[in-house]
Amino acid sequence: MNPIAMTFIQGPVVEEEVHLTLVELCQACSAAEEHVLAWVFEGALEPVGESPQDWRFTGDSLRRARLALRLTRDLEINPPGVALALDLLDEIADLRVRLQRTGGS
Amino acid sequence: MKFKDYYETLGVPRNATQDDVKRAYRKLARKYHPDVSKDPDAEARFKELGEAYAVLKDPEKRAAYDQMGSQWKTGQDFQPPPGWDAGFEFSGGDFGAGLGGDHSDFFEALFGRQAGAGPRAHRQAQGQDHHAKVLIDLTDAYRGAQRSISLHMPVLDAQGHVTMQERKLDVSIPQGIRAGQHLRLAGQGAPGLGQGTAGDLYLEIAFKPDSQFRVDGRDVYLNLPLAPWEAALGASIAAPTPEGPVQLTIPPGSAAGRQLRLKGRGIPGSPPGDLYVVLAIVLPPADSDAAREAYRAMAKAFDFNPRTKMKGDPS
Repeated sequence: MNPIAMTFIQGPVVEEEVHLTLVELCQACSAAEEHVLAWVFEGALEPVGESPQDWRFTGDSLRRARLALRLTRDLEINPPGVALALDLLDEIADLRVRLQRTGGS
Repeated sequence: MKFKDYYETLGVPRNATQDDVKRAYRKLARKYHPDVSKDPDAEARFKELGEAYAVLKDPEKRAAYDQMGSQWKTGQDFQPPPGWDAGFEFSGGDFGAGLGGDHSDFFEALFGRQAGAGPRAHRQAQGQDHHAKVLIDLTDAYRGAQRSISLHMPVLDAQGHVTMQERKLDVSIPQGIRAGQHLRLAGQGAPGLGQGTAGDLYLEIAFKPDSQFRVDGRDVYLNLPLAPWEAALGASIAAPTPEGPVQLTIPPGSAAGRQLRLKGRGIPGSPPGDLYVVLAIVLPPADSDAAREAYRAMAKAFDFNPRTKMKGDPS
């Protein structure tokens, strides 16, 4: 194979260059729209925009929505519980980073 | 094939009520959920729990499973007796939901393979988006890179069996990418149905474990061991960085744990991260007469008590 002819697929970094609509977010994490609406209602996801049609989710919402979906499916957690779990998991991750910074390894 | 004792997996007696089964599953699932647990076996444990629960939560499957008798123990060689499920009517439906046909051979021998919730038969639909995780070197994030990666994808064959298909993909890794970020590769997900467009592929980036460098966002940390005299007197030391070795000036009187910040030498970006060199002091072993003599000479040369700041120090 001629290495020069090889094409490498490029794609944007989701967290920095991508904003997702409600439809795109549902498609990207295979979640039902009603789930995403419930998570937004509980504050687990915070899109900008007035109505669901105008909502734009940050790239980081994709990670949160996928996590929310797994918690919903695997542990049968309801939307308020998902919102709480996401906040607590973020806090734990933050504390782990701080622990690593101070404790070294 | 080995027998699996689903009651043992969930830690409940065989006469447990459906509520007991549910409670035991929920408790263990919270403990071993891969998103929650840091246990290295969490994912495997969680899968086993899911399989055990898929059987025991369903009264039909549980009754069929119970019928095999209680004499079986986990790990025993096992073949389902012919006609073992005669007289049971399975209503089908959602078993294995959420677990996507990823059950053990034991489960599949008893309850058959489950294709999981596949795409419904729309005449035209956009293909599903896929997700995968790739490991890259830290240096790839510094320079950007072109990498050939192979992904394993479960696909359904004509008989509805799940098989793993390997796919090679040549991907550009952009400079400045960080762990946990995703690349969106348009049209690289599942093919669409009919005239529908293909889905996208989301690649989650993670760094290969590195014995030397630790990464925190865009900042990179390096532990640099020093001899006591290098820390005390100062030194010029060649230190490795992801961009290649640099000559570092260690200031005299450096204490262990001191951090030297190399501004902008972390992962590139706007702003770029920093590289922190964390100093560690390593004592040479006193394993020869000459070495022991050197330590004794030090003890004589210094009037040094490292514990003067300790409260209640008797000396």
